[in-house]
Amino acid sequence: MYAFTHHAATSVADAVSSVGEGKFLAGGHTLIPTMKQRLAMPGHLVDLNKVAELKGISDNGSVLTVKAMSRHAEVADSDVVTKAIPGLAALAGGIGDPQVRHRGTIGGSIANNDPVADYPAGCLALGATIVTNKRRVAADDFFQGLFTTALEDGELITAVEFPHADKFAYVKFRNPASLYALVGVAVARRGSDVRVAVTGAGSDGVFRWKEAEAALAGNFSAGALDGLKVSAAGLNGDIHGSAEYRAHLIGVMAKRAVAAA
Amino acid sequence: MSSRLGIPIDNVSIVHGDTDKVQMGMGTYGSRSGAVGMAAISKALDKIEAKAKKVAAHVLEASEGDIEFKDGKFTVKGTDKAADFGSIALQAYIAHKFNGQELEPGLKESAFWDPTNFTFPAGVHICELEIDPATGVVTIDRWTAVDDFGNVINPLIVEGQVHGGIAQGVGQALLEGAVYDAEGQLITASYMDYTMPRAQDLPSYNVGMTVTACPSNPLGIKGCGEAGAIASPPAVINAITNALGHENITMPATSEKVWRAVQSSAHKQAAE
Repeated sequence: MYAFTHHAATSVADAVSSVGEGKFLAGGHTLIPTMKQRLAMPGHLVDLNKVAELKGISDNGSVLTVKAMSRHAEVADSDVVTKAIPGLAALAGGIGDPQVRHRGTIGGSIANNDPVADYPAGCLALGATIVTNKRRVAADDFFQGLFTTALEDGELITAVEFPHADKFAYVKFRNPASLYALVGVAVARRGSDVRVAVTGAGSDGVFRWKEAEAALAGNFSAGALDGLKVSAAGLNGDIHGSAEYRAHLIGVMAKRAVAAA
Repeated sequence: MSSRLGIPIDNVSIVHGDTDKVQMGMGTYGSRSGAVGMAAISKALDKIEAKAKKVAAHVLEASEGDIEFKDGKFTVKGTDKAADFGSIALQAYIAHKFNGQELEPGLKESAFWDPTNFTFPAGVHICELEIDPATGVVTIDRWTAVDDFGNVINPLIVEGQVHGGIAQGVGQALLEGAVYDAEGQLITASYMDYTMPRAQDLPSYNVGMTVTACPSNPLGIKGCGEAGAIASPPAVINAITNALGHENITMPATSEKVWRAVQSSAHKQAAE
C-alpha cells in the first residue's frame, strides 16, 4: 500500500466537505484491493464507518429505507427488511461470504456498480430511489453502465428507498470459481407492473429485460417466459460461460425468480 | 515402531525429508513412500532387534539363542530373567560394563529396501450424481468407495488420503482447468478464475476397505495416496455419460459443457 491521508468523518456534512479530490471509504472491499494494486491511487480517504446518520433500517409501511452504510449482513438479518421485502434480505444474505457481508455496505456496492454485483439488480427491479446528499435519483437513471453511475464527484449516497412490492425475488447462477453472479435475475411485481433486472451478464452492467416484463405483466408465472429468448449480443462471455450460455441462463434464472417470488 | 519395540509412541521421533539423515533415496512417487520407506524401517528394526538380542544375552548372562523378544521385553527361554527394551538400549551404549571386545557398542542401524515388485492397490468407486438439464449443473449426491490397501498402518490417515484424492479427482473431472488465451497469457491465474473444488461441491463420502496383504514387501502394505484421485475422474465422467446417454463430453465437464451435451442427449429428447 502507498501512503495516503485518512479522515474519519463524523457526519454527512463533514464527509462531503472534507472529501475534496479524495474518495469515500465504505466497506472498502473493492476500494482497498484496488488501491493495493495501484489501479486507483486516491491520496485522501474519507472514512464513513463512524457516521451514525448513515446507519439504520426503517420502514413506513410502504417504503423500506436502508441507510447507505448498512452492512449486507445487517440487511440480511433485519426483521424490518424480512417483513417488508423478504427477497431483499435473501439477496443481501447471498452476497459474497460472511466476511464480505459483515464489511460490505449497500451504498458502497451500488456506488461501485460492479457488473456482477447483486444489489444493482435488486434496486433496478424494485424501482428503488437512491438518495444522496444532494438529490433523489431513480434506479433507472442511477445505473449508467460498467462501474458508472449518476453520482457526481463528491456526491454521497445516504440511503436507498425501496417501495414495497407484491412479489420480489432474486436468483443467481454463481461463477463456480469466484462465486460472483455469472447471471443474476431480480423480479418484482406490483399489481400488473412487473420489472425484471439482470446482473452479471450484461457487458454494460445491470439492465432490464423488457420482453420478460411484458410477458409477465399479464401472467406472472414461470410459464409466461416459455419460448422467450434473450439475444447473446451485448452479453459477457468468458471461460466460465459464453454469451450464449449466459443468455440461456437469464431465462432459466428469471423463471426460477418468478417461481420463488 | 512403537508396537514392534514395545515402546511408547511418544518415544518415537519422526524426521521428515531430511537428506542429512537418509543418504540415499529416490523420492516419493507412485504412492511408494509407505510401501518402500516403511519396509526399509522394518528391515532396520530387524537389525535393531538382532543387535539388541546380543546385548541382552550379555546383560542377562544367557546364550544369544535363548533370548526371546516379545511385547517390548527380552526374556531368557525357560527362566524368569527379563529386561525391557529401554534398559537394553541403555546397556548397548555403556558396553564397558559387561562387554569385552566382542560386541561393538551402540544400537543404531540403517537399512535399504528395494522392492521386488510394485504394489497393486485395487478398489471400486461409485459416483451417483444428478444433472440439472436447464443449467448443466452437476450435483454429486453420493459417493461409495471400497479400496484394498493391504495392511493399513494408520486408518485415519489412509481414509483422509482417499477423501482428499476424491476431492482432487472431482475437481479435475468437473471444475479445474488451466486456460490460456490466444497470446499465451494464463487466464486462470488466480482462484477468482481457477475453480478449485470446495466442500459444497462434494458429498459426504462412504469409504470402506478390504485387506489383502501385499506379497512384495514385509509389511504387506500397498500405496493409497493416489487411489482416490485416480478413481474419481472416471467415476464422475462415467456417471455423466450414463446420465446423458452419450460420451461426447470432455474434462473439466463444466456446467456450460454439460448443458451443451444435454442438448444432444437422447434421454432429453426422449423426455420431451
